[in-house]
Amino acid sequence: MNTLKIILTLLPFVWTIGMIPFANKVHPIVLGLPFLAFWFVAGIFLAFVCLQAIYFIDSKHRQDS
Amino acid sequence: MSNETVSLLIIFLFIIGATIVGLIPGMNKKMNLEEWAVGGRNFGRWLNWFILAGEIYTAFAFLGASGWAYSRGGPTFYILGYGALAYVVGYYLLPTISPIGRKHGLMTQPDLIEHLYESKILSLLTAIIGVAFLLPYLQLQLTGLGLIIEACSYGQLTRIPAMLIAFILVASFVYLSGLKGVASTAVLKDILLMIAVVFFGLYLPIHYFGSLGGMFEALETAKPGFLALPGGTKNFDVSWVMSTLVVTSLGFYMWPHFTTNSFSARNPDVLRHNAIYLPLYQICLLFPMLVGFAALLLLEAPLKTPDMAFMTIVQQLFPGWTLGLVGGAGALACMIPAADLLLSTSMLFTRNIYSKTIGKNTDPNSLINVARIAVLGLTTIALCLAIFLPNMLVNLLLTGYSGVTQFFPMIVLGLYWKKSTKLGAYAGLIIGEILVFTLILGKMDPLPFAGMNLNAGFVALLINLIVFILISLSTYTPVKTKKEVPL
Repeated sequence: MNTLKIILTLLPFVWTIGMIPFANKVHPIVLGLPFLAFWFVAGIFLAFVCLQAIYFIDSKHRQDS
Repeated sequence: MSNETVSLLIIFLFIIGATIVGLIPGMNKKMNLEEWAVGGRNFGRWLNWFILAGEIYTAFAFLGASGWAYSRGGPTFYILGYGALAYVVGYYLLPTISPIGRKHGLMTQPDLIEHLYESKILSLLTAIIGVAFLLPYLQLQLTGLGLIIEACSYGQLTRIPAMLIAFILVASFVYLSGLKGVASTAVLKDILLMIAVVFFGLYLPIHYFGSLGGMFEALETAKPGFLALPGGTKNFDVSWVMSTLVVTSLGFYMWPHFTTNSFSARNPDVLRHNAIYLPLYQICLLFPMLVGFAALLLLEAPLKTPDMAFMTIVQQLFPGWTLGLVGGAGALACMIPAADLLLSTSMLFTRNIYSKTIGKNTDPNSLINVARIAVLGLTTIALCLAIFLPNMLVNLLLTGYSGVTQFFPMIVLGLYWKKSTKLGAYAGLIIGEILVFTLILGKMDPLPFAGMNLNAGFVALLINLIVFILISLSTYTPVKTKKEVPL
């Protein structure tokens, strides 16, 4: 596991769990959603991007070895 | 035709259609246990995707998410959070488990425990705990189906005969086709359910409030703060959501049926690939919530059962055939996960309880018959519980998620940490489960601690983990190195 992979793995957890105290509000309404709901939806996309990046790193590594 | 005839007709067409699709894979083939339980370990990307995704979008996603939104508001949003995180865990976990299963012929979670700790008794204990938590989950699907059919008949048909018919059908295709039957019906269910939730989730806010934002502004004016934490509840606050997200994201893949499902993948890459795309699917859970919020603003009389919010609003605002379509999709959302649960529970019973105790000398080739009979037996038990004792298992259900999460240290550290020992696993598991039961049944969930409200499962998991590590460190002897750690 390299550092980049660890960061990419932890980032979704920090966003979706760690940042809740700061995201717990109704306004501003973003994309039609209360801010808290928007935060979680953005977290879903973040997890997708992070996993995609990890998969990319992994598949490069697999080709090398 | 009257509204209830049309809607009931449609819903039964769905149920029978799904049964036929589920029966096809088992029609012309003689299956062995491996073929039946893990699809011959030959599922490619898409079948495996639908198996994993199909199990996620259950009656709870459909009825529960809208019901929570209707009654609790803000805390509901945690449902959007845990899925994405669970898949990050799954990205590492499933591709590790799957090749071990292939190499050693494992089919269930207790098989894996037996392999990791070389202990038959620990494996038996895991199997019994697994069945204890899966049965109420199965019953929940039945109850959900009963609610849906009752709503679709506009109260004309009672839920008991409806549940009987639907579950005899489910049992029949699991009996015949095993996991392949579940997979092919899951495809059908997911497409239908997706169309239904997206349509209503967008139509209701836009038609009645102009836009999503319009609906939420109206709700914020009517009930200030309902859409943040703790919303319509007293103690589901920030600390509750944070600790619950830890429990649900780590506990997600600890449900015994997911281990069985991951063994169906053709290769680990199938599982990795699916873990990447499953988070996006999680967004679909937003739509039933939108329906729940719309119901809160649009329905005049408050609902006695918040889980009926989705069905009630469709029943009141749309014609019978629409209700039938929604009910049909919802019925499948109960039946298909129930089929998967039934299959996994039957496997736990057959492989890890029956053939390890009273059926020690059973010929391996005839185990499939035992597994099939177990399907029928478990269906009967779940039906009897749902009909005669609908409340008896509520306690087990409440403890379910927190309960299976207690497997986490044992499985994950067992896979990745060389120093984990059998005694550590026993101690952690038993203390974790006892804490879960005492806290939840003693009405101490959430547990108030230092001004926070912590999920009881989280507290139990923390202590479980500490105990596991301490006991493992003190009982570890470096001589016996038998672990193979892939990665």
